[in-house]
Amino acid sequence: MSAPLEIKGFTNASLEWSAWLDKVDLASATPEQLAVLEESHPKAKVSDYYLFLVHQPEILRQRSTAFNAIMYAPGGLSRAERELASTVVSRINGCVYCASVHAQRFEQMAKRNDVIAQVFDDPHTAGTTDRERAIAAFSVELTAAPDQVTADSIARLHAVGLSDDEILDLMHSVAIFAWANRLMLNLGEPVFPG
Amino acid sequence: MTLSIAPGSGADLVDELAGLDPGSPMHQVRHRRDKVALATQGSYDALFDPGLPGLSLVERLLVALYACRLTPAAALAGHYRDRARAAGADAAALAAVEEGDPPELADPRLRAMLCFTRALILSPIDADRALLGTLPAAGISTPAIVTLAQLIAFLSYQTRLVAGLGAMQAARAAIGTETSP
Repeated sequence: MSAPLEIKGFTNASLEWSAWLDKVDLASATPEQLAVLEESHPKAKVSDYYLFLVHQPEILRQRSTAFNAIMYAPGGLSRAERELASTVVSRINGCVYCASVHAQRFEQMAKRNDVIAQVFDDPHTAGTTDRERAIAAFSVELTAAPDQVTADSIARLHAVGLSDDEILDLMHSVAIFAWANRLMLNLGEPVFPG
Repeated sequence: MTLSIAPGSGADLVDELAGLDPGSPMHQVRHRRDKVALATQGSYDALFDPGLPGLSLVERLLVALYACRLTPAAALAGHYRDRARAAGADAAALAAVEEGDPPELADPRLRAMLCFTRALILSPIDADRALLGTLPAAGISTPAIVTLAQLIAFLSYQTRLVAGLGAMQAARAAIGTETSP
């Protein structure tokens, strides 16, 4: 079991999430809605988030397919490093819920949370190695100022050993959290335990 | 219209805007994650499906154009501008979205959508429950609100994807013919 982190309003505790508007009632869901819930996430049928988004099942289906392919596909950037990037993006955007989920996933895979504590404290300087610092810095850059990302940004990732396949995975992990954070932040709110 | 991608045509908007020609090394890199590329194009097709009820296609294209102006994302803004014009967006709405201040629009429904867009694109942490409440107050149904939120959130993703792939493409050009995988 990991050490609890509570830094600047961010946490690695397990949170719930509650929607601000009316969700789809499972009892009256269409077969398409039920199918999309089943393929989106193992707990989608009891999750406010999925029950709200499934008002538009085809849009949710495409989003879930992209999300799952980005975060879980084998090869390329390690899954821990994808989770690190997602946590940095969530910290920059201020999404406490997403940051908690992906901090925990990083920790499950990396068996440590030192870099997560750094991300919560200051994502701009976070990283326990040159490679982690470059990953975090690129995640900040693409999140905060996508129009300022250049060939030099990519060269800094090559310089710490990332291949183009890994950079693509990193970019996907950052971009998909620009998407996820905006849903979690703007359609409902985290519910804290206790 | 030079950048129109018909749904189901097999064309890929992100490849086109990031300058990834089929068969080129960067195209190959991107399509080693083809499931992501297909779901990205699939999301675009679903969000701009002309038959999707709730928000008109013109409304969705105006939201997209405004989001790209604010990000900023010039190539994508050009794409959505072309599509909004082709779909018959009126000149006043286009001018407000491209150069003006959309909160001053007379149409309360479009005004509420664009104010929501601005908050989510520029400062998602500040878009709170009260702001979300302005959408049902403007007569927008919950399923249409889901479409709008997914659309804006998708645009946040798409603009970063095009920017990042463009930078990777430029990095390859900078190192010439060296194409280590």
